[in-house]
Amino acid sequence: MQDFTNETLDIDALPKYEEVALNALNRKYWKVVLLNISIFLFILAAGIAIVLFFIEELSPYLYIIIGTYLLFSILLIVLYLVSIKKIGYAIREKDLIYKSGIISISTAIIPFTRIQHITLNEGIFSRMFQLGSLHVFTAGGISGSITIPGLDINLAKTIKEELNRQLAKVD
Amino acid sequence: METDFSEPKRQSAAGVAVMFADHLQRSIRVLVFPIILLLVRAKGMNHWYLIAGFLVFLFILIIYSYLSYLRFSFFLDEEKQEFVIQKGVLSKEYISIRLDKIQQVNINQSLIQRIIGVYSLDIDTAGSDKKEASIKAIDHHTATILRERLLNRDAPDTEAEKSTDEQSQKSEPLLKLSTSTLFKVGLTSNYGASVALLMGFIFAIMEMLKNYTEAFQLEENPIKALSTEGLNLFSICALLFFALLIVLGTNILRNFIKYFDFEVIKKKAVLAITSGLFEKKHTLLKPARVQISSYSQNYFQKKLDLMNMKFKQASFGSADEDDKDNKKHDIEIPGCDENERDELLKMIFECIPQKESTFIPNYRFLFLTIMLKVVIPISFFLLVGWVLPHIRPYFWWIIPYAILVAIMLYFEFAHHRLYLSKDFIIKKSGIWDVEHQLLEPHKIQGITTKQYFWHKKANIGHLVLHTAAGTIHFKYGNYAEIHRMANYWLYYIESGKKDWM
Repeated sequence: MQDFTNETLDIDALPKYEEVALNALNRKYWKVVLLNISIFLFILAAGIAIVLFFIEELSPYLYIIIGTYLLFSILLIVLYLVSIKKIGYAIREKDLIYKSGIISISTAIIPFTRIQHITLNEGIFSRMFQLGSLHVFTAGGISGSITIPGLDINLAKTIKEELNRQLAKVD
Repeated sequence: METDFSEPKRQSAAGVAVMFADHLQRSIRVLVFPIILLLVRAKGMNHWYLIAGFLVFLFILIIYSYLSYLRFSFFLDEEKQEFVIQKGVLSKEYISIRLDKIQQVNINQSLIQRIIGVYSLDIDTAGSDKKEASIKAIDHHTATILRERLLNRDAPDTEAEKSTDEQSQKSEPLLKLSTSTLFKVGLTSNYGASVALLMGFIFAIMEMLKNYTEAFQLEENPIKALSTEGLNLFSICALLFFALLIVLGTNILRNFIKYFDFEVIKKKAVLAITSGLFEKKHTLLKPARVQISSYSQNYFQKKLDLMNMKFKQASFGSADEDDKDNKKHDIEIPGCDENERDELLKMIFECIPQKESTFIPNYRFLFLTIMLKVVIPISFFLLVGWVLPHIRPYFWWIIPYAILVAIMLYFEFAHHRLYLSKDFIIKKSGIWDVEHQLLEPHKIQGITTKQYFWHKKANIGHLVLHTAAGTIHFKYGNYAEIHRMANYWLYYIESGKKDWM
């Protein structure tokens, strides 16, 4: 019951997506994320400061609030650090693999023949570090698409061109 | 009859009337409450002013409808392979649809259109743009020819069309719903939808009553009086009984209105589906365009050998969620028996999908769901009860709740199965309505495999198949097996030349 075979094809001899060696993201991407987090934390701190300033009853809890804030900041940074470490991608001859996640580790695979279009995004901070993120869309909607952040911009452009070339070949 | 669509054409002259009715209906729907309020509040005002105002309004609507009729034109650009619609009174709108993006062309008839004797032609595309592409007034002959042109752009042979037209008139319908089947379907399905409809209706009435009591400054609110008097057990039972009757009644009525005279006819390579009591719906379905086929059955329906079938087509904008827009692309067959199902599946797939190997989720399937739906809510309830003592008398509710949810979760687990054969993926799921979703591997857009880190040792993982008509999940399967499946399907997609649409 549990073994899934068919006459002509040995499935175990097929290429295994789960054993492909994955590429890590560009190291500089960590700096981009850190910049984003620090801006978020700065705004949060400013918000808390304003609240503390106007509502005086909260001032006895000042140290508790600061402590929670610091704990939250450290947790956020560690979480992002680990999640970036966990991201990996690979481009095979006929498909694209993207792996990510800390608690739930998910691997998404999109065959080139199912790609609808590809976009390359460069955020402000990403541009500072010559990075870009690649969005690969399929007809499966948002859940069926892949976003690879933190690619070297030249590499991302090469990948995009290569994928576009593959797409044209299919048509 | 004109069959040349290369020149811009207007709608049938009766289109003015249809558009007028359409605009009138829409404006009445928007203005009904302001008008009622105006009538109630402004008792002293001269009624002639109101009537004059109404006449002016009608006159403006007529002119507007005539202008929108004049400005509406459509044509088929053979060179660019596009269908173009131009419209708009104040601002001009230009809609062009690539023929290869067209999924489905429906010819429908609303009550007004039925009286006037015209049809509307709605074009359904796979594109993410939600522009409405429909022609509101067109005669049946032109509509059928235009539909053929739009769908079969490779073989626009007039003679072939005629012969198929004749054939279709002679050929026996593949499936025809009798009144008794419709009745049975109404009795056994769609409880949820009917209850929701009924609730919506009751709330609308209550809201309206509230509005009126406020508008008329009534002192006594009938609803309030009812609730303060209190309901005894007998009246609750009677109420429940009536609610049940109403639910079943609305269910049957809804089914009759929607699926009256339901027929499926096989035309060359497509399925022609017609239905409707007041509003006639004609739909052409191309088997190659179907992404996911499914059939579902509940306990009662199983006893009656009755099932509900659904064919889902690609809808880019809404592939993620089961929203209303997605349902628009679905083609539903409300009732059929096993033989008819097999016939239909044969039409779509050219063979009947078999279940060759079965995959069962791990028993851990139950852990997380029981945690989420039983343990956490109950502990939350207990916690609230600990803080607020007056909730404590209701603690015994926990027992029936836990039993009910546990039974439901058990059935969900027992029905969660994946069956595979070389060319088919069949996913079974559901608690009460047990659904089988059928998918061909080449319709897969992408595959995602997932694993919680604590399941690594147990070698358990989840599989998500992304298609253009939504996703299919298989949870808590053996991860090694999921890898094998994924590798096989990737091989199947990447080595084969089969296109998904």
